[in-house]
Order: sequence, then C-alpha cells, then structure tokens
Amino acid sequence: MGLVTSVRDYINRMLQDISGMKVLILDPETVSNVSIVYSQSELLQKEVFLVEMIDSISASNESMSHLKAVYLVRPTSENVQKLRYQLANPRFGEYHLFFSNLLKDTQIHILADSDEHEVVQQVQEFYADFVAGDPYHFTLNMASNHLYMLPAVVDPSGLQRYSDRVVDGIAAVFLALKRRPVIRYQRTSDTAKRIAQETAKLMYQQESGLFDFRRTESSPLLLVIDRRDDPVTPLLNQWTYQAMVHELIGLQDNKVDLRAIGSLPKDQQVEVVLSSEQDAFFKSNMYENFGDIGMNIKRMVDDFQQVAKSNQNIQTVEDMARFVDNYPEYKKMQGNVSKHVTLVTEMSKLVEARKLMLVSQTEQDLACNGGQGAAYEAVTDLLNNESVSDIDRLRLVMLYALRYEKENPVQLMQLFNKLASRSPKYKQGLVQFLLKQAGVEKRTGDLFGNRDLLNIARNMARGLKGVENVYTQHQPLLFQTMESITRGRLRDVDYPFVGDHFQQGRPQEVVIFMVGGTTYEESRCVALQNSTNSGIRFILGGTAVLNSKRFLMDLEEAQRISRSGSHMV
Amino acid sequence: MATRNRTTVYRKHRDACKSARAPLSDSFGGPVIEMVSGSFARSNHSSYAPLSTNDPGPSSDDAFTIGLPPAWVDDSEEITFNIQKVRDKMGELAKAHSKALMPTFGDNRGDQRVVEMLTHEITDLLRKSEKRLHNLSTRGGPSQESNLRKNVQRSLATDLQSLSMELRRKQSTYLKRLQQQKEGQDGVDLEFNMNGKMSRLDEDEELGGMGFDEHQTVKLKEGQHVSAEREREIQQVLGSVNDLAQIMKDLSALVIDQGTIVDRIDYNIQNVSSSVEEGYKQLQKAERTQREGAMVKCATILLILCLIMIVLLILKNVLF
Repeated sequence: MGLVTSVRDYINRMLQDISGMKVLILDPETVSNVSIVYSQSELLQKEVFLVEMIDSISASNESMSHLKAVYLVRPTSENVQKLRYQLANPRFGEYHLFFSNLLKDTQIHILADSDEHEVVQQVQEFYADFVAGDPYHFTLNMASNHLYMLPAVVDPSGLQRYSDRVVDGIAAVFLALKRRPVIRYQRTSDTAKRIAQETAKLMYQQESGLFDFRRTESSPLLLVIDRRDDPVTPLLNQWTYQAMVHELIGLQDNKVDLRAIGSLPKDQQVEVVLSSEQDAFFKSNMYENFGDIGMNIKRMVDDFQQVAKSNQNIQTVEDMARFVDNYPEYKKMQGNVSKHVTLVTEMSKLVEARKLMLVSQTEQDLACNGGQGAAYEAVTDLLNNESVSDIDRLRLVMLYALRYEKENPVQLMQLFNKLASRSPKYKQGLVQFLLKQAGVEKRTGDLFGNRDLLNIARNMARGLKGVENVYTQHQPLLFQTMESITRGRLRDVDYPFVGDHFQQGRPQEVVIFMVGGTTYEESRCVALQNSTNSGIRFILGGTAVLNSKRFLMDLEEAQRISRSGSHMV
Repeated sequence: MATRNRTTVYRKHRDACKSARAPLSDSFGGPVIEMVSGSFARSNHSSYAPLSTNDPGPSSDDAFTIGLPPAWVDDSEEITFNIQKVRDKMGELAKAHSKALMPTFGDNRGDQRVVEMLTHEITDLLRKSEKRLHNLSTRGGPSQESNLRKNVQRSLATDLQSLSMELRRKQSTYLKRLQQQKEGQDGVDLEFNMNGKMSRLDEDEELGGMGFDEHQTVKLKEGQHVSAEREREIQQVLGSVNDLAQIMKDLSALVIDQGTIVDRIDYNIQNVSSSVEEGYKQLQKAERTQREGAMVKCATILLILCLIMIVLLILKNVLF
C-alpha cells in the first residue's frame, strides 16, 4: 500500500463518521500533508465546506455553531495552547480533535481542563505526519535542515528538536504501514546513529504496545543514512521531467510556482500542479528524459488539435449536443496541455540561457568517468566561459573537488582561486567546508566506484560499452545500497544494527531515511527499482527534497554557524 | 493503518476536572450529588442537549446552547432535497424510457407522455435548484462565513451539473434509439408494401402509374401520422436538451476544475488571506482617491467662493 493511499485513508476515516457541515482546521504542517493527497472538491463532497488554519480561527469571534469543527494538527505545545483558548470560548457546535502524532498525557490533561463547555466529542491520534508526494517517496519539509551537518555541541537543543521531528515522522510512517522494523544506520554519521537509536527506543521501549503489530515472516528494515555520503547527486543538473522541474524551477508539495521565472505573460497560470495521482500524462512521463518528453508533448498537442478542430466543425444539433457533453473534458485537456507546454518551454529557455547542455556534460563526466587531467581542462574552460552562471561554476568546482580531492592538490588550489576571482558572490571556503563534511575520509559508500576492484572493473566495462545518453548516465549511490540490500549483502561494518537487532534473510519492505534530504533523482531510482519486482518494496524518505540550490543553501548556513561558533570558542 | 483513540482518557480527565471545579462554585450541600450525576448524563449526550434539568448550575455556560443556523442554510438544504428528488425521478425516467422504446404494435402514446412529463419535472426541478443556488452568493466582503457559503455553493453546483449531464446523456440515447426505431418502422412498413406489391408495382409502372388503391392510401396516411408524431417528440426532446445546455453553461462557471491549482486546499487558504489583504488595500486606495478627487476639490473651492461672495454682499449692504 503506497503512502499516498495511507494518508487518504486516514482523512477518509476522519471525515466519514461525522455528519453534517464541517470545518477542517489545519496547522502549517498538516496543511501540506493534506493538500498533497486530497483535493478541495473531494473535501466538498464530504461536506467539509470551510478549511481554516488554526491561527485564523482564534482571530475572529463570529460564532458558527451549526458547523462541526474537525482538527487535524500536530501535537505541539503551541497547537495545544491555541486549542485551549478556542475550547474556552468555542465557536463551533462540536469539536473532533485528531492529532497527527503521539499525544503526551500532560497535553490531554491541559485540553480536558479547558473544555468547560464539553464540546469535544473525540480525541484521536491519526498518524498522517509526513508529506507523501509519491507512493514511495515522502518528506518532512523541515526548515532548519542544515543542523545535521553540525556537531551536537554547537546547538544541542536545536539538534534535539531536529532529531525529535525526524523520529516522529519515521514513527508515523511505520504506524501508517502497521509495521515495526529492524533498524540499521550508517556508522560514520553521528546524527544518523542518534536518530536510529531514539527511534528504536520509541518503538521498542516507550510505546512498545502501540507498535506491537502482527509479525510477518521477515521484519521490515529501516535504514538511516546521511546525505553527506552522497553529496554528488544533489549537485548534478537533472534531465528527467520531475527532477528537472525541481532543479530548474522548484517543486514544492507537488506545486510549481512559475512566478520564480518572471518571464510569463500576465494571463498565464501562475502556479500549476504536478501530481502523478491526478495527471495521467505526468504519471507516464515523470521519469522520462527531456528529449522523450518533448516528443510525447508534441503528440499530446497534436491529439488536442484534432479534438479542437472537430469541435469547431459544429453543424447539426447533434454536434452541438456532443460538444456540450464533452466540454468539461475538453477544457481539462486544454488546461493540461497548456500546463505541460509552458513548463517545457520555460525549461528549454533556461537550458539555453545557462548553457546547461555543456555544463551538464562535464558534470556527468566528473561524476562517472575518470581522467583527472581532462577533467581539469574541462572545468577550467567552463570557469573561463562568460555565459556560465555563478552557481554552475560553484557546482563544477565542487564536483571536481569531491572526485579528485587527493590528486594533484596544486591544480585543485588553482581552481579554488579561479572560482573566487570569477564569482563575486562566492562564500570563501565553501568548497573546503564541503570537503570537510563529505570528503573521501568521511564517506562510507563507494561513491565514485573506485574503491573496490569489482566496482572499478564494472566502471571500465561501462566506459568501453558507451552509454546511451551522456546526460543521464549517473546512478546515485542509493542504487548500489538498494542492490546490496536486495542481495542481502549490506555490510554490517558500514551499516550496523541498533542494539541487539538482527535480521534473518532478506527484508520484504525497506524504508530508507536520508538525513539531510533526498532528491527526485533518487526517488526515480527507487520507483524504477520497485517496478522490477525483485520481491522487495523500497520506500524513500528524507528531511527535505533537495535541489542544488537548497543543498548549497544548507551548506552555507552550516558553514556560517560553524564559523561563528569557532569564533566564540 | 494504526490509530489510537484517546477519547476515554480524555473524558475521564474532563469529568475529574469538572468535579474538582464543581464543589468550589456550588455552595449547597444537597445539589452536589445531582450535579455529579447531571454531568455524567450530559457527557453521554451530544452537545445538542443543552440545558439539563437536573442542573441547578450556577454558571449558565455549563450548558452550551446551539444557535439557529443562518437563513441560507435553509436554501442549501432545500437544494439538497431537490437533488435527491431528481435522483429518484431519474431512476423512474430510465424505466419509462425503456418502456417507451419497446417495439409494440399498438400506439404507445401513453408511455411517451409519461416520458415527457417526467423529463419536464426533472428539468423544472433542476432549473428551480439552479435559481436558488444563486441566492447563496454573497455580497459581503471576504470572511469565513462567505467562504463557507461559496464552498457550499460550489459543491451543490457540482452535483447539479453532473445530474444535468446525466439527464442529457440519457435523453440523447433515447433520442437516438427513437430515431432508429422511426426509420426502422417506416422501413418495415415500406418493406411490407414493397414485398407484397412488388409485382403489382411493376405492372403499375408499366401501365403508366395509376393511383394507389384504398388499402394502400390508408396505410400511407397512418405511416405519415406516426412519423409526424415522432417528429414532434424529437423536437420536444431537443428543446429540453437545449434547456439543459443553458443550465450547464451557467453552472460550469461555479464548478471547480479538478486537477488544477484551484482544486488545492493550500492554494485556497492562501488565497483567502491574500484576497482579504488585497481588498483592504483596494479600499484604502479608493478612499484616498475619493478624498483627493478633483470633484471634491472643485466643490470645496466653489463653496469657499460662495461664502466669500456672501460676506462681500453683506458688507456691501452694511457699508452702503
């Protein structure tokens, strides 16, 4: 059962037993959780005629006692306070409270104490505490994502909050799936270890009754890994539809905000929705590369033009009747076609303006193939090229540094200097900071396939064979991790079990949680792996969904804090 | 998917808090027992059973009274009731359609009348509901109440639109089959005539085309009658199809397009807050424009001039 279905089931169950006109009250996080899986028209069908945020409810005093209030909020202390005030002066006839995670007893006391009018009919925990964008990919949309890069001493309370939120999210996923997993984590990451241990404590000690589900023949696996083990994937430019839209424009909760580009005529749609559940064209094209998408869109436009032509040919009454019958579908098709055409047009313009074809070719070479000398030449050429933007230059140097960290330090230094001189906005030392965080000593996995002999041989074979598309030859490290799990060969040394957990044989369900964020390239990898029917179902989740801009932003923020911290010390 | 119900724990606490609070607010010894039992009774009722008679309750807000819903709720309830009636009648109509389409030798004018009547009723109900729907639109500024009304309106509009589409589809299939039957029947008649009189017609043509004999004339007239009837029915059905098309056009303005940004909950929430702000800004701008309006300036200048003139006039009279 996919994650999207789980959240939808929660919402359906929430609304079905309450009759009459309802108002749904959400907080800033649950609004994302709900909007991404449920549409406004579906809510209207369930007689939910008003949706409000928990802040704006207390702002007004108009009494709407003919409505029943349904709350779906996170059990935070702020929300509990706001509920207290509302219950003391209730605006609605009935209150049905649903919390998206575990409630503490003290919170229940507080609420019960303030419910003098006894308007609360039920208090339930419905664990829809994650954003399920695709059936096998979820995110927690966390704001201060950079905290995982800093040692605990820098901001202990911040890191504790971070870790708590992650543990809550992972717990909610497993409660929605009704499973209790065996937990493994990446040895080299302190944050991953901490999160894995706290999750184990929650599932096996603190709330062991709640997590005590029917045992299946092989326990599912939760693997907690760190983004810094694969810093290459978020830095690369993408060429498959969903990943490309996120990289070039930005995809937030399956919505694209075209205002960021700022070159559209006034009457165009400003925000569009790209959801695989609602858009059949997107569902079949989200993992296709740019060239194929172009062809498919052209085909869609041709089909649409034919329909439009036949609609213009109205001669008899029957034609009229048929036109009016088919009008809603025609309008929907038109909206869909214009949406995809706009997106692809905008992305083509950006590719052209930033010379991304050229840049991306070098990027892919850096990520996949060898040859330090040639790589140095290529990167220097692009740094000298005027039309390459600052962010692309930074990415190239970072990729080079990650790959050839130890080879030819002189040339590496030259590249740093050239970058600093050409990019005025470049924050000094960012590349070095990245190397300190995710350099070759810190990484566990074999990111470039040059550590163990088998991988080197595989790479050479691939180089000789040639690739069908130079722009999509990169495979994220996650692919290798999933392969190891499928073969049952995930090394204990690198990915130890928590406590005395043990796994016999292969798991059938695996949830991989990447602290620091996932990318759409990785979610594509997971979806393709799931479609091969290997007998194992993978689910991927992270603290955020990264593109290169977001990853660099997190790096800069972490660098800034560590600098100011070291000054204090 | 796992859930956990905390209502019993919650209720226990709530009752404990209540009983902890009650002795403080009530000074009588006797009614304390009634108070406790009253609260137990109340916790089992829904909050729609407000003033409990056992409760000598000092504070009036122990029992939460439900106010009457506003007037527009009546409109929406009536539309919902109409929609249900339409659904029932559509079922009857489907049956009547199939009965009218059954090939009979006799005259099935009665069935056709039933079909006509039902179609009229349904179209009337839909039109009435649509008119009522417009009553739900608000004129006031954006508030939670108006948002609520807009959403109720949208949901009813969607239902009405799907019902009218269904009706039109049913009608067009009925129409099509009716036409097929009409051609078929006439064809059958002609065929009979042809077969029976094939040889005779040849003879007639050879002999230079004489008039038809009595029997054939009567048959021909009957056939014409029947086709005229059918023609009329078809026209009527077409008329109601056009009516419905009109209703649909009006409704489609109200209905949300699924799968677009307008169908997203978070977009609608954001939009409400931003449109309130926009509205406020526009109001401010309008106020400013009005105050600084050229007309206002002219009027003030003129007034001042008038006053000056009056003063001069008085002075003139006084001095001279």
